[in-house]
Amino acid sequence: MIPLTVIGGFLGAGKTTLVNHLLATGGKRWGVLVNDFGAINVDAALIAASDGQTMALTNGCVCCNMGDDLGDGLAAMAARIPPPEHVIVEASGVGDPWRIAQMALIEPGFTLEPLVVLVDATALPAQLDDHWTGDTVARQLAFAEIVVITKIDLADAAQLAMVHARIAQLRPQARVIETAHASLPETALGFTPPARPPASRFQADEITHAFPTQRIAADQPFDRDRLRWVLGMLPASVLRLKGVCLLGTDRVLLQYAAERWAFSPAPNGLANGLVAIGTPQMPDLELLFSEAR
Amino acid sequence: MTKNPKVTVFSARRVVTLDPSQPISTHVAVRDGRIIGHGGPEVVGQFGGTLDARFADKVIVPGFIEGHGHATDGLMWRSPYVGYFARTAPDGTRQGGFRSVAEVVGHLKAIEATMPPGKPLVSWGFDPIYFDGPRLTVADLDIIAPDRMVVVAHVSGHILNVNTKVLIAAGFSADSNVDGLVRGQNGQLTGELQGPAVMGRANRATGDGGLLRELDVEGLRDYGRIARRVGVTTSTDLANAMTPANVTAMRTATAEPDFPIRLVPAMRAREYSIEDGLARIAELRKLSTPTLQFGLVKLVVDGSIQGFTARLRWPGYHNGAPNGLWYISPAELEATVKAYHAAGHHLHIHTNGDEASELATEMIGRAIEAHPRADHRHTLQHCQMADGGIFRRMKAFGMCVNLFANHLYYWGDQHARHTMGPSRVRRLDACNTALSRGVPLAIHSDTPVTPLDPRFTMWCAVNRLSATGVVLGEAERITQAQALHAVTLGAAYTLKMDHLIGSIEVGKYADFAVLDDDPLTVDPTAIKDIPVVATVMGGQVFATS
Repeated sequence: MIPLTVIGGFLGAGKTTLVNHLLATGGKRWGVLVNDFGAINVDAALIAASDGQTMALTNGCVCCNMGDDLGDGLAAMAARIPPPEHVIVEASGVGDPWRIAQMALIEPGFTLEPLVVLVDATALPAQLDDHWTGDTVARQLAFAEIVVITKIDLADAAQLAMVHARIAQLRPQARVIETAHASLPETALGFTPPARPPASRFQADEITHAFPTQRIAADQPFDRDRLRWVLGMLPASVLRLKGVCLLGTDRVLLQYAAERWAFSPAPNGLANGLVAIGTPQMPDLELLFSEAR
Repeated sequence: MTKNPKVTVFSARRVVTLDPSQPISTHVAVRDGRIIGHGGPEVVGQFGGTLDARFADKVIVPGFIEGHGHATDGLMWRSPYVGYFARTAPDGTRQGGFRSVAEVVGHLKAIEATMPPGKPLVSWGFDPIYFDGPRLTVADLDIIAPDRMVVVAHVSGHILNVNTKVLIAAGFSADSNVDGLVRGQNGQLTGELQGPAVMGRANRATGDGGLLRELDVEGLRDYGRIARRVGVTTSTDLANAMTPANVTAMRTATAEPDFPIRLVPAMRAREYSIEDGLARIAELRKLSTPTLQFGLVKLVVDGSIQGFTARLRWPGYHNGAPNGLWYISPAELEATVKAYHAAGHHLHIHTNGDEASELATEMIGRAIEAHPRADHRHTLQHCQMADGGIFRRMKAFGMCVNLFANHLYYWGDQHARHTMGPSRVRRLDACNTALSRGVPLAIHSDTPVTPLDPRFTMWCAVNRLSATGVVLGEAERITQAQALHAVTLGAAYTLKMDHLIGSIEVGKYADFAVLDDDPLTVDPTAIKDIPVVATVMGGQVFATS
C-alpha cells in the first residue's frame, strides 16, 4: 500500500513551492503528480531524466504530469519499478481536492493520508469574500484535515487572527499549521505530528491538536448490513478508518474517509484490525462497532 | 461573350444568395472553384459558361457552416450507437431510435453474437430520459454477455452503465460507499457509474477507452461523409490538441481531392503553457490552406448545465445542487485571454452557465482595455444562459456568440424541471435577445453531443420546441431568415471567414447546399425535413447519397 497525500488550495497558496521543496530535499522516494509540469523547479543537477511528461530525479523521486485522468496517473505511479514510497497529488487551484482524495479509496494499492489544503495568509479572507472564487475556496477547505497557512511573514497579527477565524468557521476539525514559505517537513503532513520540533521555520507549537487514534478489534467477522449501518453512523470527528477485517467470510481491506468508504480484497501480510483516526472530539467507537459483530 | 470552358453555370428554382445587392437569383456562375457571377438566365451568356441544369427544380443556398462541431463524430461510429434519437452514420444508414431498455438490450445482444470472444462491447449515445418502464440495470447487461465486459455510455458523457464483469474488474463492491456508485432499493449496485472518478476506473478495467480515440484520416473522411449529407461545406473542429499526429491527419484528409468540407480546427489552449501555445498557434497559422484554416484558440471556463458543472449566477441550480466548478481560475483566464488577445489571436470560449459568460466577458473587456484592438471577434461558445445584460456588454466589447440551439430540444424539458426551472429556461439559448442587442449570432450542434444537421439547428431556433413538444421561451424565437443567416454568414463571421464563405457573392468560394425546398418560405415546422440533394464545395458537386 502506497500512502497518498492530496494537496489542495487556491492559486498562489504555495502548492508548487511545497512540491518543489519535497522533491529537492528527497528524504523519501516521492512520486508527485502535478497539473503544471512547467512550474516544477528543481536544481538541474538533480534531474536524471525528463521527457516533458515525467521527470526522474537522482534522489529517487519522480514527478509526472497529471494528464486528463488522475486514475491513469496513479496506476502509472504504482507500476513504476521501484514504486514511489509515497505519492503526492497536487490538485488544480480551482479543483475540489476531496474529489481527488476519494480516488484513493477506490484505487487499489493506495492508502489515503490527511487531506492537506494550503491557504495564503495575505489573501484567504478576500478570496472567500470574492463573488467569483468564494465558493471554490470554501469547498476546498470543507474536508481539509491539515490546513497550512502560508506566507505568515507577510501578514500582520490581525490578518493572521482573521485567517484562523475563517478556517475555524469552515472546518473546525482540521489541524492548522503556519509557515512562511510552504517548505514544510514531511512529518507535518501526516496524522502523527513530529516527535520533536523540526529545525525549520515550521512552527510546531502552532499545531492546534493532535489526531487521536483508536484500535478496533476485527478478529470476529462483521455482519455486512450492520457494518454498513455503523459506517453510516460515524460522526464527523472520525476522519479515517482503515484496516483489514472479515466481512462475512471475505477478508477485505476497508478504507473510510468523511462518510465515504470502499472495500477491496485484502492484501497479503496485513493482520486483522481497524485503526480509527479522528479529532479530539472522537467518541469511543468500540461500543458502536460491537453492534456490527 | 465567347465560350469559356472553365465556367459552369448552375441553374436552380431559386438561389438564396444572402448577397445584399441581390438576395435572390436563379443562376450562379462558377470558375476556378469560386463564384464569378449570379443573377437570371442571362448569366450563362454573360460569362460564356456551360449550363448545368441538374438542380433546375431545386433551391441553392450558401453551404451550411457548423460553427461548433467536433470531428471526433467521425470516430464514434466504430462503436454501436444506442440512442433514443435516430441519427445517420457515415455510411448513410439510420442508427438508434430505441424507445426502451428492452430494445437497447436486444440490439446489443444481436451485435454481441457477432463479436469474437474476449473483446469488450462498448456502446455510446444511450439516452434513457424519455424511456417508460424500468431503468437499465446490471442484470440487463449480464443477460447480453455474462462473460464479456459490456459498457453503455450515456449521451450526456457523465454516466456509464456496466455489467457485473466490469464491476468486478474495476473492484467496485456493493459494500462500498463512494460518490458515483449508484445502488438500487435492495442496496445492490445497479451498474450505473456517475462522474469521472468511477467512470475512469471502469474504462481502465475494460482496457478500451473506446470513445476517446485520437483523430485519424479515416475518421475525418467519415466526418466529411456525415457533414455533406446534411448540407455542411465548412465545419469547425472546436477542441483540437494539435498534436503532430492530429495535424498530419487533418492536412492529409483535407488535401484529398474528394474531401467534401473545409475544416476549421481550434487549438485547445490548456494543452500548452501560454508561451508554448502562442508559439504553436503562430506556427499552425502558416499551414492554412483553402480547405484547412488554423487560427482559432479554444478556452473552457466551466462544465455543462445538465452535468451540474456549469457556473451559474444567483439563484443557482433550480433543484438546489451546488454550483459547478471553474475549469480555469478567474486570474488564469484573465492572463490567458490577455496574452492571446495581445498577440492578435482569435478566442472561442466555452461558457455554459451565465456566471461563466459574465466572467469571460469581463476578462475580454479587461484585455481590450489593456490592448485596444478592433475586429477581434472573440466568441462565446454555448453561452446558454446569458441575459440581456451580458449580451449588451458583449456587444460593447465587439464579441460574437454561438448559441447551442439544439440543446433546447434535447435537454429543454430537463432544464425546465431540474436545472433552470420554468422561468429561466425561457432564456436558454436566447437567440432573439442576442440579435436584438446587436451581437453577431451563430447557432450550433456541438456534434457528437447532438447530431450535426444545420436544418435541425435552424428548426430549433425558429420553433423552440422541446422533445416533448413544449414551447420554451416563445419570445426568443427568431425568423427563418435570421436562422439561415446564423448557419451560414453568421457562423462565417465568428470564424473570420465571411469574406470567403457564408453567402453567394462574387469572389467567394462556390460552396452551396442544394435543397429540395426553400428554408425561408417552407412551413417553419418543416425546416428540419427539407431534403438535402447535394452539396457543392469549391465548385465540385457531392451527391448526398
